[in-house]
Amino acid sequence: MRRARPKIPHLGGARALVLHRAHADATALLRQLTAIGLNAEALWPDLPADAALADFLFFDVDMACDAQMPWEPGEAPMPLIALIGTEAPGRIEWALKHRADAHLVRPIGNAGIYSAMLIAQQRFEERRELSREIASLRNQVSERRTIVQAVIKLTERGQTEAEAFALLRRLAMDAQSTMEAEAARLLQDIAGGVVERSRRL
Amino acid sequence: MRKQIDIGVLFSERADYDLLSLASRAGALSGIEEINADPRRPIRFNAILRDPGGRAESYGLLGDEILRRSRARHIIGCTTSSSRKETIPVLERHGGMLWYAAPYEGFEASDKVAYLHSCPNQHIVPLLHYVFPRWGTDAFLLGSNYVWGWEVNRVARDMVGDWNGRVLAERYLPIGDPDVARLIAEIRATRPSFILNNLIGRSSYEFLRAYAELGREDPAFLPERCPVLSCDLMEPELAALGGLAEGHLVVGPYFARTDRQGPRCSMEAAAHAAVLILADLIERAGTDDPAVVSTLLGTPLFSTPLGPIRIDPRTQHAHLPVLIGRISGDRFEVVWKSEGALPPDPYLSRYDPRTAAMPPVLKVVS
Repeated sequence: MRRARPKIPHLGGARALVLHRAHADATALLRQLTAIGLNAEALWPDLPADAALADFLFFDVDMACDAQMPWEPGEAPMPLIALIGTEAPGRIEWALKHRADAHLVRPIGNAGIYSAMLIAQQRFEERRELSREIASLRNQVSERRTIVQAVIKLTERGQTEAEAFALLRRLAMDAQSTMEAEAARLLQDIAGGVVERSRRL
Repeated sequence: MRKQIDIGVLFSERADYDLLSLASRAGALSGIEEINADPRRPIRFNAILRDPGGRAESYGLLGDEILRRSRARHIIGCTTSSSRKETIPVLERHGGMLWYAAPYEGFEASDKVAYLHSCPNQHIVPLLHYVFPRWGTDAFLLGSNYVWGWEVNRVARDMVGDWNGRVLAERYLPIGDPDVARLIAEIRATRPSFILNNLIGRSSYEFLRAYAELGREDPAFLPERCPVLSCDLMEPELAALGGLAEGHLVVGPYFARTDRQGPRCSMEAAAHAAVLILADLIERAGTDDPAVVSTLLGTPLFSTPLGPIRIDPRTQHAHLPVLIGRISGDRFEVVWKSEGALPPDPYLSRYDPRTAAMPPVLKVVS
């Protein structure tokens, strides 16, 4: 399937947190975020309890540390934008560990903030979409194993492989579910000694 | 003794778009004249005039010269977005401020600029809201190949989508390219509900000429059946068009008056307004220091040729009325008008696609 042209999101009403001590850079950033139409606040050193609900997080790469982030490094639930002052490799490494989706270099002016947010948001969505896809593929792979196990059990009980597959397919159609789900139920039934169901069929 | 204050005036006297830049320049100068002729004013303006000659990079250089060589801290100037973008770094370097009085594509809010003309929610959005229910949503999008056309057409494309319409084509010509034959052939073949014209200068005039010809051959392309829409056409350009744009649609915060009093177009009016607002603010602040002046931008109302104007202090863009006009002879006849001024929304952050298909809050006036 061809993807539709990504539409530029309207950021009005979105909430941005700025993890930064009181500083001209934080003031400039808040001013621009407000002009773009976001609700923005700067906080230091602690993020609020509902930080995970924010739509964007800007964070000071020079001064911030792991303890200030209420999630595991790399698992922030929103796009992250790194504010980079000293380009010390250790600090960049730290920002990368937290998977910054975009960055701004100090001093912060009016320019670059809007594009950094759009880039961060797109990368974040892509990353989230990829992990969803990976999880679903993993799931499918493990479920395939369930089908194979169910087929083996059925052949042990005298059915041919083709009959076993046909049975699972019919069960899935009747129950309007998937072969994977019916295979799992069958295995459960067999394990629990509930054999009428399979005998009946 | 009135205090003499230098201000920069930075408009091109010769350019592809000189009908527009000369109108802005005239507006700035008449604004200065009005301030200087008013004995009650404690200040007088001294214009530091520079002519970038239509070259975008010259705006930055001449802006720099104004801020370094004179006492001017404020510049009224720039027409195109590229000239504005060249000037902004210079303002940042010298702590200057630009008063920008041309319609533009939005998605900018520099704290070194006051934006006195319309941004997208004050031009393309209401114009399409007016056109969709009357002519339909099959759009043919045209533009000169630079940021103005790309961005206005992008907003149009999104809005057409929100209304479940179709973009039949989106075509660009290099700036100044007069070769419009292919566009006309495509329009004839695709039969859109309307054409959004973001061509500028010569390309635009050639297009309107060829389209008028097409209308004579096939009445489906007469303005009342398939209008051409423009967000930046100004009255002074109508003379150059010699009646070829008759009946097509425009949008702006101000149209020239029938009695020919006052500014001749919205860009002239906005440049004039910029000078009056700047004078008010300098008097209020007691200094022309932009760092002080800009903190007062939210001051309630300024009396200007655009009407009483407020500036949104967060974005430094003006609240502006929206007029939609039909081209009639050498003027724009108002067919719709907003109730009062529309607050600026340069990032379209308050545009809601879920309600976009609803009729806008606009008032019919004819």
